[in-house]
Parts: sequence; structure tokens; C-alpha cells
Amino acid sequence: MANFSSVLRHGCAPLFLIGIGATPTSLCAQSTPSSAPTDVVIRNATVMTVTHGTIEHGSVWIHNGKIAGVGATVDAPSDAKTIDAAGKFVTPGIIDPHSHSALGDDINEATSPVTPSMMMIDAFDNRDKALYQALAGGVTTELLLHGSANMIGGQAVVIKNKFGLSRDEMLFPNAPRSIKFASGENPKRVYGRRNEVPSTRMGNFEVMRQAFEDAKAYMASWDAYNVKVAKGDKDATAPKKDLKLEALADVLRGKLYVQIHCYRADEFLTEEAIAKEYGYKIRAFHHALEMYKVGDKIAPTGTGIATFADWWGFKDEAWDAIPWNAVMSMREGVRVALKSDSNDYVRRLNQEAGKMVHYGGATEEEALRMITLNAAWIIGVDDHVGSLDVGKDGDVVIWNMDPLSTYARVDKVYIDGDLFFDSALPGFGTTHFSGAMHDAASEGSDDEGDEL
Amino acid sequence: MKPGILIAGLAWAALVQGYGQAQTEKAAPNDTAPAQAKTIAIVGGKLLTVTHGTIEDGTVVLSDGKIVAVGPAKSTKVPVGAEVFDAKGMTVYPGLFDAETHLGLTEVASDQNNNDLAETADEVEAQMHVEDAFHAETVRIPVERLNGITNAIVAPASEDSIPGQDAAIQLYGRDRDGMMLQADIALAMNFEGSVRRRANFNGPSKFPTTRMGLASQIRQAFLDAQAYEAERAATAKPDHKGPIPKRDLKLEALLPYLHGEKPVVLAAYEGYEVEVAMSIAKEFHLKVILNHVTHAQDVLDEIASYHVPVIVGPIYDFPRPDERYDAVYSLPAELQKRGVKIAISSSGGGEGGSRNLPYAAGYAVAYGLPYEEALKAITLNPAEIFGLGDKLGSLDVGKTANVVVANGDPLDVRTSVKQVFIDGNAIPMVSRQTKLRDEYMPLATKKP
Repeated sequence: MANFSSVLRHGCAPLFLIGIGATPTSLCAQSTPSSAPTDVVIRNATVMTVTHGTIEHGSVWIHNGKIAGVGATVDAPSDAKTIDAAGKFVTPGIIDPHSHSALGDDINEATSPVTPSMMMIDAFDNRDKALYQALAGGVTTELLLHGSANMIGGQAVVIKNKFGLSRDEMLFPNAPRSIKFASGENPKRVYGRRNEVPSTRMGNFEVMRQAFEDAKAYMASWDAYNVKVAKGDKDATAPKKDLKLEALADVLRGKLYVQIHCYRADEFLTEEAIAKEYGYKIRAFHHALEMYKVGDKIAPTGTGIATFADWWGFKDEAWDAIPWNAVMSMREGVRVALKSDSNDYVRRLNQEAGKMVHYGGATEEEALRMITLNAAWIIGVDDHVGSLDVGKDGDVVIWNMDPLSTYARVDKVYIDGDLFFDSALPGFGTTHFSGAMHDAASEGSDDEGDEL
Repeated sequence: MKPGILIAGLAWAALVQGYGQAQTEKAAPNDTAPAQAKTIAIVGGKLLTVTHGTIEDGTVVLSDGKIVAVGPAKSTKVPVGAEVFDAKGMTVYPGLFDAETHLGLTEVASDQNNNDLAETADEVEAQMHVEDAFHAETVRIPVERLNGITNAIVAPASEDSIPGQDAAIQLYGRDRDGMMLQADIALAMNFEGSVRRRANFNGPSKFPTTRMGLASQIRQAFLDAQAYEAERAATAKPDHKGPIPKRDLKLEALLPYLHGEKPVVLAAYEGYEVEVAMSIAKEFHLKVILNHVTHAQDVLDEIASYHVPVIVGPIYDFPRPDERYDAVYSLPAELQKRGVKIAISSSGGGEGGSRNLPYAAGYAVAYGLPYEEALKAITLNPAEIFGLGDKLGSLDVGKTANVVVANGDPLDVRTSVKQVFIDGNAIPMVSRQTKLRDEYMPLATKKP
């Protein structure tokens, strides 16, 4: 809670009065900023719903931060704050399912290939300019992941891009926990240079298997203890709590979404085999540039992908990347999202989606889904965001034209019904931010060739 | 383009033709197709000529590697025997020209073994010729040209003050000489903080570790070149007695630029860096093409007063934390508004590659650059800036037949290029990537 005044301003003060014993996260992140109007209606726009087509001259009504109506007409009260969006396009907020923004230079705890107890929230800097620049590109939700130095990295933080609010107010309420895994060249390079394991893909996967064997033994020791306690054994000694093994146990218990950085077709197959062996599910492969080769084998597992539109050739394992990967994988039945992995590309994910019309002939709705609903699914927040449907969060972007066009610019961004960015405003165009931004310590990518 | 280069190009075409007749079935290197000295008429498309507006229903005729006719379909004759390319519903425009790439100097960026990007032992390396490292068979060239990129400047990476001399290439040809339009077309120069060799206060440091050091080193290099030239001139006189000094390739390489015979591409990011770099350039009467000027928003009027062209790119460089999100996106528009001739470059291409060049130009349109100027910034302007304007950059009779046909607006990400013509050849629309796509496509199409 770095910014006391902003907390007060946005109604999180009760945290300090009644918050003893409660987690700050849940209290603060669920509060609704008081500045949002009760009812907002955007009228006369081309509304791209993602789930039920595009509505010409349509309206979107947001009530108390939630979408209350979408259609040719909506039943909004007459005193609602009304925005005439004639000639403009409306979409759900853009979602980036793979980002390292606002984590400064703390992206990788590259001191051990297994660091599952690292919590990315502990590195989250809510005043990083990368968040602002993403907001100006229409991005409302981001999954901030550990880097790819480690086979098993840290636990992600999911944010709503309410730039200007406090760290805690930017957390996505009740989002599922995700953990970052990685295999391939990055962990090989990092540990291989030190003559440590892993320096090969054989080493990669043995490190993982060993970690899960350790976790199983840890879980067994707790099971044995709990059995003793249940039998009334007063002398039973509890095993030591171990943060690292607890986190791995949570993977095996299915409590963490597993997000895996890997590129090659063989790695997808190996990762799925290990997941099967140890009984956990993989939520998504990230990068996944060779999914077009094995989409038919991965589709039945239900694992999604978060991939680049057209990045390629920056490293050996990206050599077979083709820009048709996303659409070809989608046609095989794989759930496909596009992501940035970059403070640069996060600003124009709409263009990256537009490329899918070119590379493979995606429809505009399919392309838009890759940066909204499918991205939300990968994070596990698709019940709340990712489409313009009644009951979902009021995360809405108004564009000056079709967002899949090169020429599209963001006019306004609403999150939970509150205006956070308006390009017509002077200065930064932000509504809740004042003061000085922090400079991103990195490009926000953990995967540009020799970088991590 | 020098006459000699042109002849080389024609000789190459003739060579390819001979090869093609002999071995039509054999896959040619670098995805080149056997060239055929035929006439092609691209008929019925919307022509974006760049120099004389848009022709809604037009015809372009290509013959012997040149554009031989451009005009409305009604009044432009299709020569007898010409192969007709039906461009109805399509857009036809000149091949795109990327003003800064590293094509042929790198393959897999993370693998040092195939990087020939820059020598970094010294800050002044004018004697390095990109032509000597240019790998014509790079997999990257066919990938980039499928999006309509037909010409590029290949520059060394910006790790030195003077990393070497650029080359202009055509993105099609059987070998290095077939692709090389002009070696040593310009001198790459950088005046930016990142070139400094970082002082090590705990051990030996190598000069220069400051911008003062960089500036004095550049000045000294040009002074040394002037002294060298004078010395050579003196010893060349018939009455000269004594030893002839050894040739110095580094200093000799600077001479054409000191004479203003060829341009220097002078990169600087910050306003004050631009000012310092330009003061050095003026001292030595260099012919300047400014590069980047990313954070020089405060001195744009001053930049306009230099009357030099500017390469902007990438326009995706980050604004500083105190700048509005669109401070760099709007730079092309702000410069153009002040009468500056601009080219937009991919600046090495990034992870997506030069193939995204037209989209960068489109983004500049979104942030205020007039459409025609954006198209010029990736066609005619870079061609003119590098002295190739008489051969490239527009649909005009007499120019090299580098022409692109696409199914829509070339600057829109949703548009697909359908055919690229280079030197009048319909190039095979294949790359390593399309081959991978087609190899695995049956998997993708077996389900409805």
C-alpha cells in the first residue's frame, strides 16, 4: 500500500480500519472507484460483441460497473451519462495474456530453475509507463508473468489496467492463480552457462520431474501427518511448511493454472505427457510458434495457446515460426489468443489481430476474439471480461474506426464502467493519473533473443 | 544508380534467362524463378502511382525489367503477346523501400555465429563494407518481399560511431551481385549514448565513455582523413622524394563523404544529440540524412531548418515517461508538416521483420501523416534520399519494374499481397514460411 492518499481518494480507507486479518487484496480490489457514474450508455456505435456478432448503430449500457445491456436499443435510465459514438466502434477491453510489464527488472529469479513461490505481485510497480501506454492501446486486463529463465518460475498477477489507482485497486478481483513454466533455450542457456542443470532439453524435463517427485513426497508427509492427527495422535509432528513445495503441491492439486513458455512441437508433446504423468492440466502454451504442426494432437487436451502474430527467427526455436500459426491452430480446434510479451506490441494488439485476417483468413470476429475472450480464458477470467455480454464487467473501448484497421486509434477506455483514458483530453489523456510515471526498466519482453 | 550498376542488372537478367531456359524444372536458389524476358501487362487495378495520383482502372506494362507504360486501362495499350495479369479489384503500387534494415547480416539473431552486424573493437570502422558480409541466400529476404518489400538499405548495426558503409539491395536475385544495387551507397554514423563504452571505475576503461569522447573521436577521424588526403596528394606529386605513405583504408573510406559525394546516415535520438551531431556534420560539410530523431520533438523546427531528409523509425520507439503515448507515433506527421522529406524505416525490422514496414507507415497516417505522404515515405522518398529516385519508388515509365499487386490498401494489416514483380519478373510467391505452411496445411484443412 504505497500510496495512502490515492487509497483514501478511491475509497479503500476501510482497509486500515477494519482490514486487520483480512487480505488487503480482496478488500481493496473489489471496491468500486467512487468517481464512476452509475449508468453509462454508449450509443450509435458499431458494437463488436465477440460472442454474438456485430451490431450496427448499437448501444452498450453499463450499470454500476457491469454491462447491463447490449443491442440496437438498451433500457438505460434517462439520466445516464450518454456518449454519442456515431461512426465509431466499440469492443470489449483488450486482454494481454502474456506480459512482463510493470515488473521492473525483477522478471526472472534466475538463481534456481525451480522458483514456484515467487509472487509477481511483489514486483508489481503500478506507476510504470508501460501500463499507461498499454491503456492508450485499449488494454484493460493483463497477465503479468514470471520470465522464462526457470523451468518452474513464479506465480503471476492479474491486473485491471486502472492506471492511476493504487496497486491493490489494480488487481483483478478473485482471478485464478497462474504459475509460469518454461522449457527450451532460455533455461538451457541460463543454467548451461553456469555448467548447471539444465543445459539441455533432457535436463529441462528432468528438473521438472524431480520437482514434482519432491512435491509428491512433501504431500505424502503431510498426508501421513494428517492421518495421525485424525487418529488422535497427540504426538504427531507437523512437517515443516515449505513455500516452494507448497506451490508445487498446489500445481498437483489443480489449484494453479499452468502457463508454459515453449516453442517447439516436440516440447508441447513432452509437456502434455509430463502433465498427464503427474496429473495436472496445462492451461496454455505461450509462444507456441510450432503449434501449427501438432494442433490436431493438442486440441483434444483442451490446452490453449497464447502466441505471437508474426514474430520469428530471433532464436533457433523460433526458426519454424510462421504467421499462419494462429489461424491454422484455431482451425484445428485449439483455443488461440495473441499476446504481446512486450511493452511495445501491447500498445497495438489490435493490429496484431488484424494481421490474422491477412495470414489465414480469420474473420474479424475470430481475430478480435484472440485478443479478448480467448485471452480472458487463458487467464481464467472469461466469465467476467472478454466480450460485450450482460453481466460482464464494464470494460469497454471506443475506437475511432474498425479496430482491426492499421489506422484505428483508441478514443476512450472504460474499466468497470469508469473512464480511465480519453484521447481527447490534453496531456496524457488519463483521468485518474497524476504525477510522474516510472520508466520501464526493460523492454518488457523476456524473449528477445539473448534477453530473458 | 550509376550506369554501371544498371548494366550489371541487365547482364544478370540475361544470365538468369539463359539458366532458366536450360533448367526450367530445377528449383532455383533463393526462390528465384527462371526469368523470362517477356512483357507483362497488369490490367484493371487501382494504380497508386506515387508521382501522379491514383488511376482507378489502370494498366501498367512491364518489359525488359522496366515499366514501359502506365495509364488508364482505356487509353493504355496492352502490347501484342504480352502476358496479362488481371488486377481487377486489386491495388497496384511501386515496390516498397525499407530505408534501414540488416537483411543479409543476420539470420537467427540470438546465434552469434551467423551475425555479421557490426565490428565493435573500435568506434570508427568506415572501412567496413556491408557488401562484404551480405548473405544473399538469407531465408529472410523471400519472407520480407512477400509483403511487397522490393528494395532496402542494408546497414550495419548501430554499435559504433561509424560502423561502416551501407548497401542498397534489390530483394530478388540469384546471388549477391544480382541483388546488389549499389555497394557503399552511404556511410552509417551514430551519435547516441548507447555507443559509449561504459566506464569501468574499478578497472581499465576504454575511451570513449562519454558523449564528449564520442564527439572528439569523430572529429579526429575526419581531421585525420583530411590530413591523410593532403599527405597523399603531396607524395603523389612528380617531384616528391622519399617514401610513399602506406594506404590507410579506414581514412580513405571517409574521403568520398568528406567530399560530399555520398551521404552519411546520421543517427541521433535526443534533441541535443541531433544538434551536436549536426554541428560536427557542418564542420566537415557532410551531406546528411538524419536518422531516428525519436526524442527530438523540441527541436523539430531546427531540424527543418537544416534542409536535410530524415529517416524516421521505428515509430514504435517508446515515448519517455513524461511524454504522451503518441509522441513518437506523430513524429512523421510533425516533420512532414514542417516540410521535411521523410522516409519511414523498419529500423532493422524487430521481431516481426521488414514485412511490417507498410503498417508502420499506416500507423503514421493514424497519427496525422497524409496518406500520400506515408506511401511516399516507404517508396519514392527513400529512393530519392539515397539517389535512386530515377530508378525506383513510383509507377513511372522508365523506372525499374518493381511493382506490387495486393487485394486492398497496402498500408492496412488486413491486406494480402497477391503478386510481387521485381525487375519485371513475377517472383515466386513462396518463402520458407509458405513452404512450412503448405506442408502442414492438410492438417489444418481436413476439418471443416
